Amino acid sequence: MSSPMIERTSMEMNDNIFEMQRISKSFPGVQAIDHVDFSCISGEVHALVGENGAGKSTLMKVLAGVYQPDGGKIIVRDKEALFNSPKEAQNCGISIIFQEFNLIPELEVAENIFLGREPLRNKGLVIDNDLIYARSKELLESLGTFIDPRSKVKNLSVAQQQMVEIAKALCLNAEIIVMDEPSAVVSGKELDSLFAIIRSLRDNGKAVVYISHRIDEIFQIADRATVLKDGKLVGTVRPKDIDKPTIVRMMVGRDLDQTFPPKEMGERKEILSLKNICRDRVLKDVSLKVYTGEILGIAGLVGSGRTNLARVIFGADSFDSGKIYYQGEKTKMISPKISLSRGVGFVTEDRKKEGIVGCFSVRKNLTSLILDKMRRWCFTNDVEEKRLAKTCVKKFNIMTPGIEQEIQYLSGGNQQKVILAKWINANPKLIIMDEPTRGIDVGAKAEIYNTMRLMAKQDKALIMISSELPEIMGMSDRIVVMHQGEIIGEISSSEATEEGILMMATGQVKKNGKESIREY
Amino acid sequence: MSIDQLKENRAIIVVYFILFLLLVVSTLFSETFLTYRNITNVLRQAVSIGFVSLGQTFVILTAGIDLSVGSVISLTSCLSAGLMLGRDSMMIPVVGLVIAVALVVGFCNGLIIVKTGISPLIVTLGTMSIVQGAVLVYTHAAYGEVSPAFMFLAWGEIGSIPFPVFLLFAAGVLGIFVLRRTPFGRHIYAIGGNEEVARLSGVKTEKIKIYTYMICSFSAALTGLYLSSRMGMGDPLIGAPYMLDSLVPVLIGGTLLSGGKGGLVGTFAGIFILTVLSNSLNHLEISGYWQWIVEGAIILGAVSFYEKRKT
Repeated sequence: MSSPMIERTSMEMNDNIFEMQRISKSFPGVQAIDHVDFSCISGEVHALVGENGAGKSTLMKVLAGVYQPDGGKIIVRDKEALFNSPKEAQNCGISIIFQEFNLIPELEVAENIFLGREPLRNKGLVIDNDLIYARSKELLESLGTFIDPRSKVKNLSVAQQQMVEIAKALCLNAEIIVMDEPSAVVSGKELDSLFAIIRSLRDNGKAVVYISHRIDEIFQIADRATVLKDGKLVGTVRPKDIDKPTIVRMMVGRDLDQTFPPKEMGERKEILSLKNICRDRVLKDVSLKVYTGEILGIAGLVGSGRTNLARVIFGADSFDSGKIYYQGEKTKMISPKISLSRGVGFVTEDRKKEGIVGCFSVRKNLTSLILDKMRRWCFTNDVEEKRLAKTCVKKFNIMTPGIEQEIQYLSGGNQQKVILAKWINANPKLIIMDEPTRGIDVGAKAEIYNTMRLMAKQDKALIMISSELPEIMGMSDRIVVMHQGEIIGEISSSEATEEGILMMATGQVKKNGKESIREY
Repeated sequence: MSIDQLKENRAIIVVYFILFLLLVVSTLFSETFLTYRNITNVLRQAVSIGFVSLGQTFVILTAGIDLSVGSVISLTSCLSAGLMLGRDSMMIPVVGLVIAVALVVGFCNGLIIVKTGISPLIVTLGTMSIVQGAVLVYTHAAYGEVSPAFMFLAWGEIGSIPFPVFLLFAAGVLGIFVLRRTPFGRHIYAIGGNEEVARLSGVKTEKIKIYTYMICSFSAALTGLYLSSRMGMGDPLIGAPYMLDSLVPVLIGGTLLSGGKGGLVGTFAGIFILTVLSNSLNHLEISGYWQWIVEGAIILGAVSFYEKRKT
């Protein structure tokens, strides 16, 4: 750690708008952060980077008063501060924009922006609605967006919701704005405009903390970057002074080449065929063939119908018209239960909501799909179950204190490994994976890629949905691109370029391949 | 009204349309329905279920529930009659005391819920049992006598309209105003929409939840006082049916049990749908047991309609 590039933050103590000293915080079973120093000066974008589970979000939640630290102190504008609630942190000018948005879908945009500090008409009892609408409009326009303050948040796109969040922070007169992985939910053009807003915030003298685990972004946006690993401070660097491998090494503690396993395929046989599938407004005339022994990548922006398509194939959603052939046989009714019995698996995008049973142990999560097969008379076969769970933990390198640990305490990457192991135990013929590596650290990613490739080699059919283009290109044998519920095109992986996929995904290439002029 | 607003208010429009249909059908099927006597009768019935349903709406909007209202109604009914014992001089202190007792029950409900994190269903089930038990210790039969002046609450009339009707509408208008125009009201919706988000936005969620349970108990006390005034005495079991009945208008009115959506305008329609329906079925000489069946069917129909709309 004696590298000259790594400077001690305490050198610039006097300019700091806030400074966190030797902060520690633990949760049952984990030391989330361990004596971490972090500081920020006005007018800078300070990236906080590290793998998932490194403690980035926890550190910022301590700053924002969501968690109280076990030890250490926070100094804001040269005064020691201890925030017992988010409100106290807000009053001190600290705003945090969480990964999961802090907006209430049923309330209007303006109501959300002013939630918790509604201005009163003539200091009376009544909310001054004229003021909140006017002020919200002003704030949103200053961010270059034209969202109607009266529309309900549930009707907004994800990117729009992010703008509302930023407007909310500005409305609080926040001097310190923390953004928790904003790029997890927006991409492409929307991310560019977000960066433009972040830069203008910085130029207006705000301190912006940008949490991310994507290294490219750090080089685009950050003035300084602080790296955390396993809850400990690795160091603070200036991205312009260093290169990507250095920062990766700091993050993972080892050199890591982000290569994908070689594209070896299994026996290619048609397993699933969709003909002209339509559903409401989300899927339009989708036709698709899926083969065993290969990985089919589905690219597209969030909301392009990728997940809807996956849900229809699995039978979680119904479809209005069209035909589905599974192993050459026409199927009318599909339900998740039927799909499971046919050997179709579905690794969902939302791990917490649809993937794991949080309060169940690793063992119970691992065996939930195959309990029926391993029961003895009408009882569950504990001995067999434990043996299987132990094998899985070893085989898939799941980091857990034991098979009886509740899965909710595992890191995202390890949770995902459990989910994958669970499906592989069920021995599916076709497996659909929706964002299989979202929010997962680099090391776990590589392991998941290897497992996926191994499955393809063993003649399984894989469908992978992903927002990350390198992942789509690196893993898929064949790529289809979706835009607004339609399949715009299909490309073999050898022909695919990032630009080509993006053009299709953003609708700049029409279905017949001709370029079209986008209408705004 | 824009299309979005129409969509948003579809529940209200539908529920008032159903109320309108019900009124038309009742008028057609029964000659006595539209008489002065019957209308005031319906209104008086609406008052007793009305107060408590208004309060219940506040709690349900925060995604809570209050099952203790029934026993609070019994408690206030018995305490008011039992302490007044026919003396006009005691009326104001007794009413004050009874309301204070109800507020304490509501405060305890709210405090236990926010401090222990136990589900409101279980907490209020517990307090219901405790309060009901206490009432039965106090008296296990109808007891006491309200003062003559107190009878005005239920039987008084202003310009030939029953006095309590004014009270109910005043409470309703006040409630609508609070929910729509004050920060307190907005925070109730925010808590029901997403409590954690509300908390992180600086809303004092614990305080507000406690307040809603106090409002609910207060409204139950109004129903209890009204019932003792109407009967002239206290009855230790009079509140029992209100435990579930108070939920019916709220749910019919489009307030979701999961919170964050709905409001008092819908509850009002729910109150009148319920009372008009039971009144009409009475006129048609259909037994009370059938009323239960119809009531249940309406709840299931209404709630499945709203749930379907959500997706």
